[in-house]
Amino acid sequence: MKQGNTIVIDPVTRIEGHSKITLHLNEDGRVEEARFHVTQFRGFEKFCEGRPFYEMPSLMARICGICPVSHLIASAKACDSLLAVRIPPTADKLRRIFGLAQVLQSHALSLFYLSSPDLLLGMDADPAKSNLFGVAEKNPELARDGIRLRQFGQQIIERLGGKRIHPAWIVPGGVSEPLTATNRDAILDALPEALSIVERTLEWFKSTMENFREEIASFGNFPTMFMGIVKQDNGLTFYDGKLRIVDASGKVVADALDPTRYSDYIGEKVEPWSYMKSAYYKPLGFPDGVYRVGPLARLNVADRCGTPLADQELAEFHELQRTAVLSSFHYHHARLIEMLYCVERMERLLNDAEILSLHVRAVAEPNALEGVGACEAPRGTLFHHYKIDDQGLIRWVNLVIATGHNNLAMNRSILQVAKHFVRGHHLTPGMLNRVEAVIRAYDPCLSCATHALGQMALHIQLLSPGGEVLDQVARG
Amino acid sequence: MPRVLIIAYGNPLRCDDGIGWLVAGELRSRLASPGVSVLQLHQLLPEVAEAVSRVDSAIFVDASRDGEPGEVRCARVTTPSTKASFSHQLSPAEVVGLAQELYGTSPQAFSVSLVGQSFEHGEGLSRSVTARLPHLAARVEGLTKQILSGGPVSLPEVEV
Repeated sequence: MKQGNTIVIDPVTRIEGHSKITLHLNEDGRVEEARFHVTQFRGFEKFCEGRPFYEMPSLMARICGICPVSHLIASAKACDSLLAVRIPPTADKLRRIFGLAQVLQSHALSLFYLSSPDLLLGMDADPAKSNLFGVAEKNPELARDGIRLRQFGQQIIERLGGKRIHPAWIVPGGVSEPLTATNRDAILDALPEALSIVERTLEWFKSTMENFREEIASFGNFPTMFMGIVKQDNGLTFYDGKLRIVDASGKVVADALDPTRYSDYIGEKVEPWSYMKSAYYKPLGFPDGVYRVGPLARLNVADRCGTPLADQELAEFHELQRTAVLSSFHYHHARLIEMLYCVERMERLLNDAEILSLHVRAVAEPNALEGVGACEAPRGTLFHHYKIDDQGLIRWVNLVIATGHNNLAMNRSILQVAKHFVRGHHLTPGMLNRVEAVIRAYDPCLSCATHALGQMALHIQLLSPGGEVLDQVARG
Repeated sequence: MPRVLIIAYGNPLRCDDGIGWLVAGELRSRLASPGVSVLQLHQLLPEVAEAVSRVDSAIFVDASRDGEPGEVRCARVTTPSTKASFSHQLSPAEVVGLAQELYGTSPQAFSVSLVGQSFEHGEGLSRSVTARLPHLAARVEGLTKQILSGGPVSLPEVEV
């Protein structure tokens, strides 16, 4: 809808959570400012205060229905730190498998359910058909593959955690139950099919890239830094390691940072127009310290994946650009390479000689009053930071979520897309969809970012210099 | 392969919306048989279409807002004429339609619902609905046995 010189898109569709977008026009009718407003709020950080620390993993998993496992992992790691224990090696490996299964199903949701309509049917497709049903009509194999891959990831989570959503299997000190041989074999039996699906989807995706030259050039294609956790050998990881930051040229600007000291180098700014905080790299200040996290960032900061097929694809990915790969459109490509890595890595872990060990939990009382847990969630780096009192009750919580890290970059991306595609004072479905599509590339989870619950919907507004709403579109 | 798939779904944190979720356990005990499988879900997602495509009959069990609280309502599920635009939450008809479109097969399908009274935030069912939960379970059990017997399925639309 257009009101004055402002375009409003409300709600944004095919993302996780509630948001709206406002586009502000100048006197010439050109877009000069864009804002991504996250309009939901839940406040997990406050209502956890006073709860026993050992409840935190289960409570934190409720933040999100898509990536509860990442919150479980980060929370349990923060609690491991409060206990001051080193968890048994098998528990470490099982947590990694659990996390990889979740990344696989979450990436499948993002790519197949939310973004494949744009990629298969085009950005200008009839909005009524830009959904999974439209995909099913045009390319049923692609839709079936998406469903199968989601099932595959969810079934692993269910086999390990007892249920698909909000499993409570990961606990402070390790995991609550060992892996059985039956479940290991069942997962291993399904891996070849999952691998085939990812490989053919990757080939299909690469074949479509030629159709999106304009989008690749304008979808968040600008210099920023990139941040992610890497292994000690600088390889890709989702579970544990050191933080690494590279700049737009691909040069390492900070390396071997201790994730538990995140607050030394990451600041968070609150804007009055959104419930989502904006993270920035402290040494460069706000907003110059803009950086991106998630699949694109992880592949920009990692030297290698560490598995053969993913490494082959990573080498090809790095050929897209001599510097860091900058266009946020390539988040999709990075997501697919990570799915390949997940399948390969799970196979290796499941074949580990110790994976069926019964020693999966370290038991202790709290030995520290402050703990930080960090991991790579599907959408990027996740920090859980807790302080407790002598009774083990939570006194303070801070959560830094992937989507919050990307907030500044998402706002800039929307502005870039809007400047490129919005013409005059009238909105077309294709323009609206491109503004949404650039957000989808980041796969934001606003339920996580605001620690709030909700469906994703979009609201775009076009505002005049005087603040009058010229046009707006609401969907959801 | 089960001949009958019962999909009991709902949100147990929204009071009576949790009817389907809560009755799933009861249905598992009443209908323990290799020919029957019970899925307990929060909502219907596209993945359900694959499971539905592999059975002869599907029964969707849910709470309903349409009718007098406590009524048990039954209906045949038919493929919708229009398709959903959103993949986060599908209707039973859309699940059946997607099964047909993607897998070339869809079972005969029924919905059995209990009309709820309160859909606010909170756990537990309202008193009038709790009292009717055995009727819902009995209706699903009866329907399942009719299907398994191979005879014609009689479907009274509303039971009060």
